[in-house]
Amino acid sequence: MHHAVLSHFLLTGAVLFVLGLIGFLSRRNLIVMFLCTEMMFQGVVVTLGAFSRFHANDTGQTFVIFVLTIAAAEAALALGLVVLLFRRRGTLDVQAWGRLRG
Amino acid sequence: MTHMLDKIVTLWPEVALLVGACVCLAVGLSPRAGTRLLCAWVAGLSLVAAGGLLAFGVGQADQGLAAAAGTGMTGFVKAAIVGVGLLLLLVAASVPSELERDAPGGLVDGDGKFDPGSVMRGEFFAFFLFSLAGAMLCAGANDLVWLFLALELTSLPTYVLVATSRDRADAQESAVKYFFLGAMAAAVFLYGFTLIYGSTGLTNFDAIRAYVAAFADSGEPLAPLLRTGLILAILGVSFKIAAVPMHFYAADVYQGAATPVTAMLAFVPKTAGFVSLILLLSLVQPAGAEATRAVTWLLCLMAALTMTVGNVLGLLQHNVKRVLAYSSIAHSGYILVGLVGFTEAGSTALGNGTAAVLFYLVAYGLATVGAFAVLGCIGSRGDEAQTYDDLAGLGRRHPVLGAAMLISVLSLLGLPPMIGFIGKIYLFGSAIDRGYTLLVIIAVLNSAVSAVYYLRIAAACYFRDPAAETVSLAVPWRRAGAVLAAISALVLGVAGGRLVDAAHVATAGQAQAVAHVSSVAP
Repeated sequence: MHHAVLSHFLLTGAVLFVLGLIGFLSRRNLIVMFLCTEMMFQGVVVTLGAFSRFHANDTGQTFVIFVLTIAAAEAALALGLVVLLFRRRGTLDVQAWGRLRG
Repeated sequence: MTHMLDKIVTLWPEVALLVGACVCLAVGLSPRAGTRLLCAWVAGLSLVAAGGLLAFGVGQADQGLAAAAGTGMTGFVKAAIVGVGLLLLLVAASVPSELERDAPGGLVDGDGKFDPGSVMRGEFFAFFLFSLAGAMLCAGANDLVWLFLALELTSLPTYVLVATSRDRADAQESAVKYFFLGAMAAAVFLYGFTLIYGSTGLTNFDAIRAYVAAFADSGEPLAPLLRTGLILAILGVSFKIAAVPMHFYAADVYQGAATPVTAMLAFVPKTAGFVSLILLLSLVQPAGAEATRAVTWLLCLMAALTMTVGNVLGLLQHNVKRVLAYSSIAHSGYILVGLVGFTEAGSTALGNGTAAVLFYLVAYGLATVGAFAVLGCIGSRGDEAQTYDDLAGLGRRHPVLGAAMLISVLSLLGLPPMIGFIGKIYLFGSAIDRGYTLLVIIAVLNSAVSAVYYLRIAAACYFRDPAAETVSLAVPWRRAGAVLAAISALVLGVAGGRLVDAAHVATAGQAQAVAHVSSVAP
């Protein structure tokens, strides 16, 4: 237990991912839900970095850079959409919706 | 480095679309309304250019090289996306005008008061082209990083298209719903990709296939990490195709978006998703049937549940947009049938599941675009037509639109002269050929159930008195798109042999590439 090994990093990544997933499914505020998806992405990033080190190639770290870029693009899009909806609705609570039901 | 250059040479059609998108963005900022109207023509021109480059490039490609790079499937899918993309452009071209008519000052010529933020014509067509380019890039992917970026390029613009397509809270609600679930699904398949990388240390598809083939030769089963990664990737991508664990957004999003944009949602992300599934499954194809049993079971389960859920919920709807959304879910289930048993490369034309999937994507795309386009041509009470009542008497008031709707729904149902019939024969035949008879029985029963709501649409068009409050919108291009889609569904149904051959040849290259990798693997 004195040295951090691959499984520690993988566990950290998996915990981040699962926490994000649980948060996404249980929270009702749009901003918090978005933060949860970001947390899932960060879990993936930690895992990728760990595998990259384990396999001693840079592919995983290259992947990380692309993932972060996409995450940034998604953040910009999320803020735009959330602002658009907030102007119309005045609330960020997903349970306040429900116009679209069969 | 030369490897990268070789790859870029195959990307000219996508480059044409991206250039067209950038030109659209610039032209859309012009203060002159007349100039802004050119955006649709720019988009159309870049699609035609992409099609031309594709025809030229495919003709030039060396056959052996094409087979080795697996470009057979790529070419077919890209051509399908460009073709249906042109139809979608016809259908969607007037969406920005419909919005700007409502927005004050939208179409007024600029006299210093022009506000670029008040128009979205340029963005609309640019994002439309970006999404098509993303789907085409999916088809050309040979690396996990590439596939991830291409899938995101397909999806991210569609969220914006949904949000801005209608000036209503419904559209924005559904866009937010679509975006959040899409981001979550992206994280899930990304984690799957990560585990595949973690298990093999590779992201290149050919290298992963060689790695898997080497393990298959040594008689060891598929590594648990690789299997878990593949399953997570399949579950995440099932969001794009609206298959069962991730299907629940489809009806709300399809209903909320403007009808022409819905037509696009039903084809472009779905094509990207199925192409990604084919590529992901091809990674473990060299491992053989025994080692990939878990994946096969997952696909069987997903296929059976998806079509049953889609058809049963489709029966309960009164809103035609939601009915077509559930029909789209059900069709994902049918197409998944073609993917089970992916390890056995088809020897006969009928046994080739991948070719059947590619062919059915075209068949489904034409019919669905046709149905949504007809729906987009009629309005009701100042809004778009959405219910069975709005369709009442369509066949009597507009014989051409009525006929287009009839052909589209009959093709979706799979009746003989239409393209959907050949598609279903091909799809289910390939599954029977590989011994999945029970699954095919479920699929055929489901097709029979779906007849209830498809025929209900047709009956509303032909056997009911026209409703007073429905009006037909002045959208000549969209009507042309609807009619063209229906004619294609009919003509390709009667003379679909060549397309079937093309699909088969396209996937033969893929199968050869896999066989080639298997044989060179140590």
